[in-house]
Amino acid sequence: MLNSNRINRGSKVGSAGRSGRSLSVQRNAMESNDVIAKKNKAVFGRTFVINFLSSPGSGKTSLLESIVPVLKSEGFKAAVIEGDVETDLDKKRIDALGIPAYQIITNGTCHLDAKMVSVSLDKLDIKDADVIFIENVGNLVCPTSFNLGEDMKAVVLSVTEGDDKPLKYPAAFYKSEAMVINKTDLLPALDSDIAKIKENALSINNGLIIFETSCKKKADCGGAVNKGIADMVSFIKEKIKLKAGEFKK
Amino acid sequence: MHEFSIALEIVDTLEENGYLDGVNKVNSVRLNIGKYSGIDKNYLGFAFQNLDDERFKGVSLEFVSNDSDEIKIEEIMVD
Repeated sequence: MLNSNRINRGSKVGSAGRSGRSLSVQRNAMESNDVIAKKNKAVFGRTFVINFLSSPGSGKTSLLESIVPVLKSEGFKAAVIEGDVETDLDKKRIDALGIPAYQIITNGTCHLDAKMVSVSLDKLDIKDADVIFIENVGNLVCPTSFNLGEDMKAVVLSVTEGDDKPLKYPAAFYKSEAMVINKTDLLPALDSDIAKIKENALSINNGLIIFETSCKKKADCGGAVNKGIADMVSFIKEKIKLKAGEFKK
Repeated sequence: MHEFSIALEIVDTLEENGYLDGVNKVNSVRLNIGKYSGIDKNYLGFAFQNLDDERFKGVSLEFVSNDSDEIKIEEIMVD
């Protein structure tokens, strides 16, 4: 087992000394992944792409089940790349929405990388898509290190996860353009403080655009689209138009 | 534990840019790790110790930190 106290300010791991010939490198360590991510971005073309990050069970798939029908009803075409450690259960839920979807099963790997997405693009029909949603593996740490060629990351946090989640997992909030606070219908049963969640997230990234959503389909939502979902759809539509406009230039 | 993937990315970056040409052994790698990079330095060290690559056997990692989300390879010491 690793001893987390082995390094404090992390000056060194390992026993070998600084012997031998020095080679100055000065390169991005993720260059190999980023080269493929850049190619993915070229394949995406005019299509706007969001990479959803979250803990397992925060409601990413439910969010897509809420957003996609609204987009579809307004004539926008969506596709989904699903990332999971095991099973194609989420893809089956997306298939039911009647849009193209591809399941990446990582077989234990805790994140998607650009190469995995590149392979999926050979198999997923995206030529008419206005937007592609990438549902990353449920994990708030590992997926943050890998650029997939997306236009933006969005972090999803459910209200059951604790107000301090942004402080505990800052990378996901730092790298995201938007934060979705999901399952707000559960707030009456919880001590969660939504203002505190926002304050903590904004202390990491003060430019975060925040949506408060509920994907509950039961009658007490009145069958109406939740305001947060409607706001997200408006945001995505705007992004789709901006990307398409940029691509024409 | 994505640090195994990060370790492989670092090796690929060094390999693809010719830094490992003719190198028998890498003694140390100096990395600049951003505080928002999502990297655990202990796990990254563990990953390097378990790479299936003889050139990195016993390699020592040295770290400096920055306030970004970047992971940068600054220098390697090789035989």
